[in-house]
Amino acid sequence: MSKAWVEDLERAVYIAEKDVRIYFLKGPNLIFGLLLPVSLFLAFSIGRTVDLAFAVPGLVAIASFFGAGAIQAIALPLERRTGTFNTLLTAPISLFAIVLGKALAGFFYGAILSLAYTAIMLPFSPLPNLPLFFVGILVSSFLFSAFGLFLSAPFRDIPEAMPPATVVRIALVFLCGVFIPLASAPTFLQAVAYLLPLTYSVDALRQAMGGPINVEMFLFNLGVQLLFSVLLLVAATKVLERSIK
Amino acid sequence: MNNIETAIKVQDLTKRYLNILAVDHVSFEVYRGAFFGFLGPNGAGKTTTINMLTGVTKATSGTASILGYDLAKEPVKAKTHIGVVPDTQSVYDEMTAWKNTIFSAKLHGVPNDKRESRAEELLRTVGLFDRRNDRVSTFSRGMKKRLMVAVALVHEPDILFLDEPTTGLDVQSARQVRGLMRELNKSGTTIFLTTHYLEEADLCCQLIAIIAEGKILIEDTPEKLKISSQAEQVVEVSFDHASDAADKLKHLNNVRDVVSAGDKFRLYVEDPSEVLPLVFDFAKENNLKVVSINTLKPTLEDAFVKLTGMRPEIMSIEKEQTKLNRG
Repeated sequence: MSKAWVEDLERAVYIAEKDVRIYFLKGPNLIFGLLLPVSLFLAFSIGRTVDLAFAVPGLVAIASFFGAGAIQAIALPLERRTGTFNTLLTAPISLFAIVLGKALAGFFYGAILSLAYTAIMLPFSPLPNLPLFFVGILVSSFLFSAFGLFLSAPFRDIPEAMPPATVVRIALVFLCGVFIPLASAPTFLQAVAYLLPLTYSVDALRQAMGGPINVEMFLFNLGVQLLFSVLLLVAATKVLERSIK
Repeated sequence: MNNIETAIKVQDLTKRYLNILAVDHVSFEVYRGAFFGFLGPNGAGKTTTINMLTGVTKATSGTASILGYDLAKEPVKAKTHIGVVPDTQSVYDEMTAWKNTIFSAKLHGVPNDKRESRAEELLRTVGLFDRRNDRVSTFSRGMKKRLMVAVALVHEPDILFLDEPTTGLDVQSARQVRGLMRELNKSGTTIFLTTHYLEEADLCCQLIAIIAEGKILIEDTPEKLKISSQAEQVVEVSFDHASDAADKLKHLNNVRDVVSAGDKFRLYVEDPSEVLPLVFDFAKENNLKVVSINTLKPTLEDAFVKLTGMRPEIMSIEKEQTKLNRG
């Protein structure tokens, strides 16, 4: 790895550290990251017979999905409005590394929330394969942070960024088999679901919780998520690049 | 590096936003160690130029280099050498002054063992060391600006860009920032300053470029700029009582314009010797007593007005209004 890459990576970590310090306890993050997933979970669970081996991975996945995404819907547009994003643009760091730094902050937030929900739900759910479940959470959180960045990259203020991001996320929850098994959905919707990143996160976590593990399928789900992550980071960088032209 | 004597080199730099040509084929050079002033009315293209030179936005065409590094080809290397104090906020309200300075040090690659000593030195220099553990949200505008200067200097940049650094500051804070800029320049830092305070530019800058409607109108030393405006001279007069004399004075022969300046009136004329007797006649006719009357040396303001056709006080009002609207 060249010296420039190492320096870029190091500075990306500093940006993540700064974002963690500033945004982790902001009100909207707590609402979207903590309350929305549990509200959706309860709305689908109360009054029904719930298979926890099916539902808990869904809850953990959307905790990561909303948590990692919430910080991105706030941090980037807010910094662009106040002008502090320019502080990063004038620093000796590549735009991709800035995006990576922001993605890392969302990754930590999503992972912490997912692990918290896992810890809360473990006494009531089947015991997952903990190392694989942990890996699944980490990969999902990074993916959802990159996805959140991609959604917020075109916007220069929170009120512009929040509504589309929320609508897209809620739509994905319904399309990706979080609460309803995809097998029971029409073929067309199943095809759409496998074009969307959340599906692979939920699948990987269910595999890690649902008994005998198909390692190849698990790795395939992780691989697709990592591929989506890279594509979304590159796309977010391109969108930001266009906006500074 | 191509030529280390040139700190900033700009050739045909152009920026177009849809149908608006914000900067129109601008070219200039700033030598190492210079204090360069970039003056112009609101919307002239000053901030857009700074934004292109610091990586905040990209040029539509043309080239710009920092110490020989082309900003389009080697932006990271170019940005290693610059510090920026923008006209927007560059520090984080949610963090303390100390954390902001340390973050900037990390971001600019200041070695771990030097970060704290450098932060302490700079916060002491800008008079914020005692408030280092307070969140920036509790700071006044002047304190924030001084912190922004400290943050921009943490990596000891060769070139410091300052975009309207004293706008909206109280007299004492503005004086502190100006003093700091001069000290930095004395110690070898190249300064690129945009300002609409012409006295500030006159006081600090060795070279000034005046930009209007995206084009550089003239580039010269402050003294040469003043001489260039000498075709029009100023007679300054004050009466014992005459708050509404400006309109009447405008009607005197050979007076092109009259501007009120406190209790004085500035008459823009071609030949003061022709106008002086007329002013005394005017005083007599209107039962006024002349308290003082002087012919003034041309100022940078005169040069600016002549070149841009815009009065600096109008520009100041516009700038303040923009800042207020921005919140």
